[in-house]
Amino acid sequence: MESEVYSASFDASLSDGLTADSSTIVVAHELKAPLSLMRQLALSLDYEEDIVGAREVGRQIVATSDRALRQVQDLTRIARLDDALFEMEPVNPRIVCDEVVAELWKLFRFNKRELQLDYRNKRHLAVANRQLLYSVVYNFCLNAMNYGGEELPSRVSIYDRQNKIRIDVRDFGPTVPTKVWREIKDGFVKKPVEIAMRPGSSGLGLYIAAKFANYMNSDFGLVRHRDGTSFYIDLPVSRQLSFV
Amino acid sequence: MILIVEDDRGWEAYYRRILKGYELVFCHDGVAAINEMDEVRPSLVILDILLIGPTGFAVLNEMRSYPELAEVPVAIISSVKLKEKMAEKYGVVATFDKGELAPSDILALAKEYDDKKSA
Repeated sequence: MESEVYSASFDASLSDGLTADSSTIVVAHELKAPLSLMRQLALSLDYEEDIVGAREVGRQIVATSDRALRQVQDLTRIARLDDALFEMEPVNPRIVCDEVVAELWKLFRFNKRELQLDYRNKRHLAVANRQLLYSVVYNFCLNAMNYGGEELPSRVSIYDRQNKIRIDVRDFGPTVPTKVWREIKDGFVKKPVEIAMRPGSSGLGLYIAAKFANYMNSDFGLVRHRDGTSFYIDLPVSRQLSFV
Repeated sequence: MILIVEDDRGWEAYYRRILKGYELVFCHDGVAAINEMDEVRPSLVILDILLIGPTGFAVLNEMRSYPELAEVPVAIISSVKLKEKMAEKYGVVATFDKGELAPSDILALAKEYDDKKSA
């Protein structure tokens, strides 16, 4: 049963009130995590006795660096949003979600997590920028991976909602506290430790998703469940469909 | 037995690799760690600070409130840099920044506090 529903239409000044210092600290903290792990993994190669183990370490380093690079890429994109370089186009959300899941399934498996798909939408094209939508779904999924339990799989759902198509990523982890959600909604939290209820992220992934959703004139929000959280984005249905 | 409280599976795999041969128990959140310590008494606890649910500090507070757990040595390995005073206050035996840690640091801890290496 849904306990509380929050939705937010982010305005262009999402990061208003955020000082350069606090955003730098949050970004630095986010990027420190994968860098620290990669450093440790590289150092641990000295302790690896067989080639199979060394290859596994190598794969883990690549997966960790891919994730960090995507975050850097997304931050760069945020800086370029004002230049309006990202065109809106008819996009099939199912294809985007399939691609995200194809990229992330190994990471989910490594983290002993599962990701399920549940596509129920009858309208197939939405208005979005493909790259930005990919990042939104990617960050939702990573968030679900970090906070979902091992017992229940996270779920990516697509369904029609009035004249919108909703992409919804559900996890079964600790519910986001209201205070944390407000901080994410308003921009960055000031100190990573403030959102220790959902650690592993200072909310940067959700911040990125919020910025991109705002750019695409989409609604972005969350539903707090008794046993977890769903983050969603509502995309306008593409009129192109009428020509099909 | 070394109890490692760490919610990141990447770090869990890393600890398993470095501490091969030691008896390890992993808990992915603070509540599970406290519950685990009701059942078994570790010779060393390696504790992260940013955890799902209660933080590492909450785990430390809980441990320090029980005489039988208060003496268990705790090492903090976290990406949050702790002030020395804070570490002293909680009586932890060592603190390491994840960004500066070396595998030899972990091995030295294990050797000092857990001499029952199984292999």
